[in-house]
Amino acid sequence: MINSKSSDMHGRESVQTKVLSAISMTPSYLSHLECSGCGKEYPHNQIHTFCPFCQSPLLSLYDLKRARQSVDRDEISRRQKGMWRWHELLPVLNQENQIFLGEGDTPLLSLPRLDKELGLSHLYVKDESSNPTGSFKARGLAAAVSKAKELGVEKVIIPTAGNAGGAMAAYAARAGLKAHIFMPKDTPFANIEESRMAGAEVVLVDGLISDAAGMAGEKARAEGWFDVSTFKEPYRVEGKKVMGYELAEAFNWQLPDVIIYPTGGGTGLVGMWKAFDELEKLGWLENTKRPRMVSVQADGCAPVVKAFQAKATFCDFWTNAHTLASGLRVPKSFADHLILQDIYESEGTAIAVSDGAILESQKQLASMEGIFAAPEGAATLAALKELIKQNWIHPEERIVLFNTGSGLKYLDHHA
Amino acid sequence: MPNNILYVEDNPDNMMLVQRALEARGYRLLKARNGLDGVATAESEQVDLILLDINLPDIDGYEVARRLRSSSKRELTSVPIIAVTANALKGDAEKALDAGCDVYMSKPINIRELWARVEAFVPTP
Repeated sequence: MINSKSSDMHGRESVQTKVLSAISMTPSYLSHLECSGCGKEYPHNQIHTFCPFCQSPLLSLYDLKRARQSVDRDEISRRQKGMWRWHELLPVLNQENQIFLGEGDTPLLSLPRLDKELGLSHLYVKDESSNPTGSFKARGLAAAVSKAKELGVEKVIIPTAGNAGGAMAAYAARAGLKAHIFMPKDTPFANIEESRMAGAEVVLVDGLISDAAGMAGEKARAEGWFDVSTFKEPYRVEGKKVMGYELAEAFNWQLPDVIIYPTGGGTGLVGMWKAFDELEKLGWLENTKRPRMVSVQADGCAPVVKAFQAKATFCDFWTNAHTLASGLRVPKSFADHLILQDIYESEGTAIAVSDGAILESQKQLASMEGIFAAPEGAATLAALKELIKQNWIHPEERIVLFNTGSGLKYLDHHA
Repeated sequence: MPNNILYVEDNPDNMMLVQRALEARGYRLLKARNGLDGVATAESEQVDLILLDINLPDIDGYEVARRLRSSSKRELTSVPIIAVTANALKGDAEKALDAGCDVYMSKPINIRELWARVEAFVPTP
């Protein structure tokens, strides 16, 4: 159905209208939600946060058997670009509720000069900085805000290290929802300003994202606002998983050998692993070889690395967390057990890098490849160099770094 | 076999959730709804582990932990204490550990993690 709001004053169709017109008759094969801890099932047509029984994140499940019979991966590849071209595997049922600002289909760039410098042959970066609001957070918030709108939510609240707040503010503005954002007071200025510009109420918290999460949670309970915290609602991870679909498609429906991913809340890592599961069940992959997932954290806040080294199933809360990579200052993710489970299952690893190594890698990515990465993205290059030293990487492997956002949003670090 | 767990918590929903989870594993739950009651219960009963909320209506969880660690009942100076809080204020985790708690968990409490944390100190009966 063509959305009349997508036409401009001269009646020309916007990109969104073209995307929507390409959408097939079955918007989504979403079947139900399932608790990632105890397996309890929940209907998807009601508002849910996390499992009330065991307090684990809920995940969206799809009728993949039916999807396998009727959805053609190659037809999806021919659709107009954007995250929603995967709509059958996303949770929004009514296409009018899909909030689209151009998210998804970010470039997968080869890194020829770094390849040569590091003695590699197939090094890539998935550059998420071209998403709306300049970071990968757009994907998750596009899905979560769209679904919130579909479920009748009017006010959304989020604790954020920065970029998620900016993204939520933008999508909430476009959806006509009121946004409330709690962020640490030392969050990059760009994140604070973009959130305010989009009409969000911003509360600056004297603390870390975990402190902001506590305050936002209390406010959400008191006011009845919908809490869009990482993994405390089921849909952000659905937007993030599309990064996994896009990678599979870019590698001709095989998967790279290694994915190096900066890990704060871990939505992207968990989402991509979920995507690979779904692609396998859909029969869309050319083989069943999965990438080794590398979780990268800063050495001033490395709960996943510590837990991985101890072969633990949960993380200890990281005390006195500090790093210039604000997206990595997450003392403990609500989905820590899922992150660790996916790393173990992939035979991957977790590695911590220093702020110094992050800044050096940020400069290297910019000066050698022209990519001004966010510090979190630059951390993946720092980790790669360490993994090469440890002989954990084979020079012939296809390696994907994730740059999760634009360095332009962190100019405070360079002032 | 030691299996007595004291939960100091004023929120009845959290109390019920944890009670259900721990009793399902065979533990016996002792309940205290404020800090002073928590200290008194710990001093009068056999307690093998304490789950301690930080935001309590009378004395806060840090003070409870400090009183337990300096108690004349010797067992309380070393009984495992797991701090549980909504970490609404900066540095809750650090303060809880400084006050004598062994582990810090933030709410919402993931029940599988709770089982794992409790079992690390007190094996399932």
